[in-house]
Amino acid sequence: MTKDELLAPLARLRGPRVVVTTMGLVRPWARHSDSPLDFASADSAMGHAADFALGIALAQPARQVVCLNGDGSMLMTLGTLVTIVQSGARNLVLFVAENGTYEVTGNQKVPGAGRVDFAAMARAAGFPRAERFRDAATYAEALPGLLEAPGPVCLVVDVEPGDETPLGRGPRQDASYLRPSLADSARALRAALLR
Amino acid sequence: MVALPDNASAALLTLLEREGRPRVVWVTREGEAFAMASGLWAGGATPVVLIQNTGLLESGDALRGTAMRMRIPLVCLVTYRGYASLRGAGEPAPPVDGALLGRPDVDSVAALTEPTLRAWAVPYEFLHEDTDIPRLRATFARAAALEQPVALLLPGATT
Repeated sequence: MTKDELLAPLARLRGPRVVVTTMGLVRPWARHSDSPLDFASADSAMGHAADFALGIALAQPARQVVCLNGDGSMLMTLGTLVTIVQSGARNLVLFVAENGTYEVTGNQKVPGAGRVDFAAMARAAGFPRAERFRDAATYAEALPGLLEAPGPVCLVVDVEPGDETPLGRGPRQDASYLRPSLADSARALRAALLR
Repeated sequence: MVALPDNASAALLTLLEREGRPRVVWVTREGEAFAMASGLWAGGATPVVLIQNTGLLESGDALRGTAMRMRIPLVCLVTYRGYASLRGAGEPAPPVDGALLGRPDVDSVAALTEPTLRAWAVPYEFLHEDTDIPRLRATFARAAALEQPVALLLPGATT
């Protein structure tokens, strides 16, 4: 499916959820959402969006946190699947957008592309719900129920490789959440969550 | 507290688990600790990281790209494996070179801990004795004032 087919249903349903994005989904998400509860893990450390999102979820147990991770990023910190379950967080929905490539560096294949089963890994780590979606209609139909399911939930979604370029931050960025520095973004999110 | 245990922190973590406060969250690798602590802070909490110096070295990019880049006021307790192999009380650390790192009587992680913290622009302090414990409050204040992580090195084991 396309990234838009992944993101549009989520944008319609996200409500007061925090959404943490990274890598090839940062700019596409900004075309669907412009919320103070959006956070781009960009100009940061690759592979650490999910554990960052877990921290928010633990600090805000009454609010659901969604992490839009990629397969290349997930591979960098597979242990985080275990950490998430071990933490006891019930309010985290971890997406793994699987396109089989490191998109922003030129779509080089990720190790294990087409063979690794992230949903099975999440189930083996103890996620109570871990599903894989290959087509947009099935995904869109299932998403409302999965967002309400007791978590943590892992949703692995096959997406087409795109042509996103390396991420930057600054006042000329089209995506509004890429205009502040990473430090200012963290402070803005904290302020929004403590408001 | 976001933690990965070692021998030196075992007693402290056992106590914290028994007491239930502050809550301990375990990680599988130390780099996760800095990202998770940064998320905890963004979510309104006051996190502390507890890791060994070996794990600190593993954490470089996570520390740089999350807690440092986000300017998170964060106290990081780092148990200092090998401190006694490197220097006696009050003695300065010897210069770090390939020969020192290969010496079997020196724990190479101890030789690299403080130079690494300096290179990464992380201020650090020591917690040698029980009488140093009041320094904790000052360390939290320093991290808040600097808006960045500050390391508190623990050369001895907790008991």
